[in-house]
Amino acid sequence: MLELRGITVAYGGVEIVHGVDLGLERGEVVGMIGPNGAGKSSVLRAICGLVRPSGGEVLFEGCTLTGMAPEKIARLGLALVPEGRHVFKTLTVAENLRLGEWRDPGDATLVERTLDRFPILRERANEHADRLSGGEQQQLAIARALIGRPKLLVLDEPSLGLAPKTIDLIYELLENLRREGTTMLLAEQNAARTIDFCDRCLVLGGGRVRVHGGREELQGDPDLLRAYLGGGR
Amino acid sequence: MTGVRLRSRASLSVSLLAPLVLVALTALVGADGTPSLQGTVTTILCNLVIVLGLQVFIGNSGVYSFGQLGFAAAGAYLAALLTLPAAFTALQTPSLPDPIAGADLGPLPSTLIVVVACGALAAIVGLPLMRTSTLAIPISTFAFLIVVYNVLANWDAVTGGASGLVSIPRTTTIGSAACFAALASLVALAFKWSSSGYRLQATREDEVAARSLGTGVTRERLIAFTLSGALCGVGGALAVHQSGVLNPTTFYFAASVTTLTMLVVGGARSVFGAVVGTIAVSTVNELLRSLEGGASVFGVLTIGDTPGLAAIGVGLILLATMIAMPDGLTAGREAGELPWIRRLRAMRTPPVPAPAGAVGVERSHAPAVSQTLSAEGIAVSFGGLHVLRGVDLTLRRGEALGLIGPNGAGKTTLVNVLSGYLEPDAGSIALDGIDVSGRSPARLARMGLSRTFQAALPFRQLSGLESVAVGAMGVGVARRRAVEIAAEVLERLGMREQASLAAGSLTPAGQRLLGVARALATGPRYLLLDEPAAGLSEAEGDELVAILRAVLEDFRCGLLLIEHEMSVVMSLCPRVQVIDNGVTLRIGSPDEVQGDPAVVEAYLGSSYTVAIGA
Amino acid sequence: MAQNLIDALALGSLYALIALGVTLVYSVMDMMNFAHGEFIMLSAYALYVLAGLPFGIAVAGAVATGILVAVAAEWVAFRPVRNADLSAQLVTSLAVATILQNVVLATVKARPKSVATPTFVGESTQVAGLSVPNLEFLTLGLTAAVLVGLGWLLYRTRAGLAMRAAAENFEMARLLGVRADRVIALAFAISGALAAVVGVLLVMQTGQVSPTMGLTPVLVGFVAVVIGGFGRMFGAVLGGMLLGAASSLLGAYLPDSLVSFRDAIVFSLPVAILIFRPQGLLGGATGEARV
Repeated sequence: MLELRGITVAYGGVEIVHGVDLGLERGEVVGMIGPNGAGKSSVLRAICGLVRPSGGEVLFEGCTLTGMAPEKIARLGLALVPEGRHVFKTLTVAENLRLGEWRDPGDATLVERTLDRFPILRERANEHADRLSGGEQQQLAIARALIGRPKLLVLDEPSLGLAPKTIDLIYELLENLRREGTTMLLAEQNAARTIDFCDRCLVLGGGRVRVHGGREELQGDPDLLRAYLGGGR
Repeated sequence: MTGVRLRSRASLSVSLLAPLVLVALTALVGADGTPSLQGTVTTILCNLVIVLGLQVFIGNSGVYSFGQLGFAAAGAYLAALLTLPAAFTALQTPSLPDPIAGADLGPLPSTLIVVVACGALAAIVGLPLMRTSTLAIPISTFAFLIVVYNVLANWDAVTGGASGLVSIPRTTTIGSAACFAALASLVALAFKWSSSGYRLQATREDEVAARSLGTGVTRERLIAFTLSGALCGVGGALAVHQSGVLNPTTFYFAASVTTLTMLVVGGARSVFGAVVGTIAVSTVNELLRSLEGGASVFGVLTIGDTPGLAAIGVGLILLATMIAMPDGLTAGREAGELPWIRRLRAMRTPPVPAPAGAVGVERSHAPAVSQTLSAEGIAVSFGGLHVLRGVDLTLRRGEALGLIGPNGAGKTTLVNVLSGYLEPDAGSIALDGIDVSGRSPARLARMGLSRTFQAALPFRQLSGLESVAVGAMGVGVARRRAVEIAAEVLERLGMREQASLAAGSLTPAGQRLLGVARALATGPRYLLLDEPAAGLSEAEGDELVAILRAVLEDFRCGLLLIEHEMSVVMSLCPRVQVIDNGVTLRIGSPDEVQGDPAVVEAYLGSSYTVAIGA
Repeated sequence: MAQNLIDALALGSLYALIALGVTLVYSVMDMMNFAHGEFIMLSAYALYVLAGLPFGIAVAGAVATGILVAVAAEWVAFRPVRNADLSAQLVTSLAVATILQNVVLATVKARPKSVATPTFVGESTQVAGLSVPNLEFLTLGLTAAVLVGLGWLLYRTRAGLAMRAAAENFEMARLLGVRADRVIALAFAISGALAAVVGVLLVMQTGQVSPTMGLTPVLVGFVAVVIGGFGRMFGAVLGGMLLGAASSLLGAYLPDSLVSFRDAIVFSLPVAILIFRPQGLLGGATGEARV
């Protein structure tokens, strides 16, 4: 469904991501992990059209995404839940959700059904989004992305800045989505949980894919620990 | 270290001479021409003085002021009133106070008075305006322009009101205009390359980074604004002594747009650009203006009476420039820096010679109460998010402390608080025993606390050497010594080649290291580094460790290192503090921290620790 | 006294309309549009050109002109510099303003032209013992209608929702499928319509049009936005009201010798406000962090 070929991303003439390949099939859940600055966010931003890759291609169901405007990419069925959530603080929860309604513009029930799935949001439906806690904002960001019934859900560090219990909640939510067959691409710093959750993971370091594997291969791998915490030097 | 130069003698000479040569050539063109040609040339030269006034402020600060022609107007009126014979002033401006009305000065004394008066006016007006934001300045200076216009147009008894003044002595010649234009060029260049000019340029390139190096943004803008006001006043005086008549619309909206276009087309950052742009746009302007009354072009096309034709032309030029060539014809470079000139060997910046003696800014070694940077109980929350919940930190001089923790744990926020960019909701900070809570970044830099940034925030248009020198200039070091210090620091960091390259052209790693050099040039007692090793290869990381070790030895400063690159932290820092979820998890030696299950769990999650049986 | 207050309110409303037009574009594009004054001027000239027609149609024509000019300016001049920095965009708008102003100057010549306005405009109505010019009723009424209409548009329609989202975080809105081009075009169109309303009111107030009539209004708009705090609609309205009220009251109460300096005094006020509150009265932070 999604294919990245040799993606390079440069900011101000300097390369941050040096040739990343990635393939994703419908229904798969793939993770990207690695320390800060490894390039995970840059890859996601390149996919969603926020930044134009300096090299390589992004293909989505056969369609070339490289160079397309972000709103066009979104309307093709690719939804991003960005790092830091970025819910619209001056809008209410319901209004945040309504933004995603473009796919079925006349459908008044769309927001209602979404609120059913996210009972916490239903409670706060008419409050401004800045009154929500971090975890609630994360749920709102995910719900907002889901309203457009995306074919691919891309999440950039969904557990960032959240308390462990809240992270559990979010991942429960993601697990439900996986069971419903939602295809997901996830970038996380929290390695263990991601390895556990995803079908397979890419480990990024210094703008390149270092390791690539499934749960069994990566879990408990001492090299992975070394990549994060050093030691043995 | 002596003999360090920011630019080669040849390049400097070319940059200084080129504007003068252009001025001379322009003057020569008009010298033996028809009276109308002479008039045009003189106008161009008078415009040039005003445009140079604009360049001093706009080019160096990157902030647009639309009020500079208000100073030109003030200068013009003052010069006119001072030089008008008493009989005329009695007639046209009956209420003018006697000292001015009776004065019947020559052009030179009146111009000198204008310099002082307009400079003073600019200082007074600039004092409140420069404190406002970068977007509020264009608007408030625009308001100033309209206020000036309004006063001039309505204060009939003193300024002659809307009909203005006539019979002003016409004393400006091509020669005198050329002299003033040449002088103004030199003044503009001297300012641009002065300590104050460099600090201002740093704020243009990156305001946040400039503040971290001790630069007071408001102060530097005010200095340039004052100088700019004086220059524009002189330009106004010159112009009025050419035309002999004056009314409030002479230096108002249309003239503001035209002079701004001259600056932008040439390249706002460059004095040479101001000269080139003025000549180019003035020529087009005068040409179009001559067609406004109706003309026949090449005997084929006939244009009727079209007032405003020149302004349309100027507007189109400005629009085209903003869309296609926003940096102007010179791309902001002085004559000695133009690419085809740089190819000549003599023009290249000379290599930085090896340092001789001790390195670094001399700081007074007054005994401090305690030689630590300490923070207590720092708490910060954004909206409902508690980013820091009561964190303590102690950094001693001469020690390296590593600050690690998962992404989003609050490390950068803590550094922002320590360096004065963020006020905490609770907690206090003390530097060498002095309470510095709430002090600005610039103030802290001057007190000996400097930092680098995750994003490097380079001064893109300045060279490596200039960037680092700004650091020293920011804490008050004179320019020559600052350049020497910069060379020393760059040498110590192994960045000799980068000294002459533009900071914007370096790799991210290079830019980050340059940021470290910049901060070192301030002679810090405490240096906070935000992820200096991000994106570096293993070898580069080792180099960085070696450099930082040398820094510790040479500078004896306290070093706080936020890092994700564990190898760097563990090899450099005998003490490591782990932050997670806004609180301190653990402080200890690298081994202690690495082996602590709570730390492993914070990074990799509980299932990982279970899997490895920790 | 009451008379002066109503005058102040009317002028304040007019200025608020100008400020709203400027803020609308600013909130979506981070650009202060110098050419807004020329949108006002061109709409006024449209009214002059259409003067022979029934008044309602002429006004509609003026509004259509305002919208067309605004949208065209965005497409031709502002779209290419959309990603440039704030100062560059400001200067671009200055270029557009200059071109528009002087094209009119070149074609129609500088002398102000008189415009015939319906007679009721020049008359006054007796209310509670005061004689209030009908024009002021019209101004107040139109402003109220505009505010209600704008509020409805922004808070009750999808397009308005998209615009508010884009004003807060343009990139994030795009990620949710909001079409950047359309949102910006809409902002300019509304801004142009607002400018047209102001233009019509100005014509009815002064009875004439001139190529330079847009200069002071745009300054008023800018200053109102600055003192209200950038990017906030409410702040713009507040700033406009304050500026208008100050101008009107000063005009009424200044001693004769100083009356002609009214503008100078009024436009020095923002400086005073900015000294004490550099971020403006309602302190608009210039935008949240983008995605």
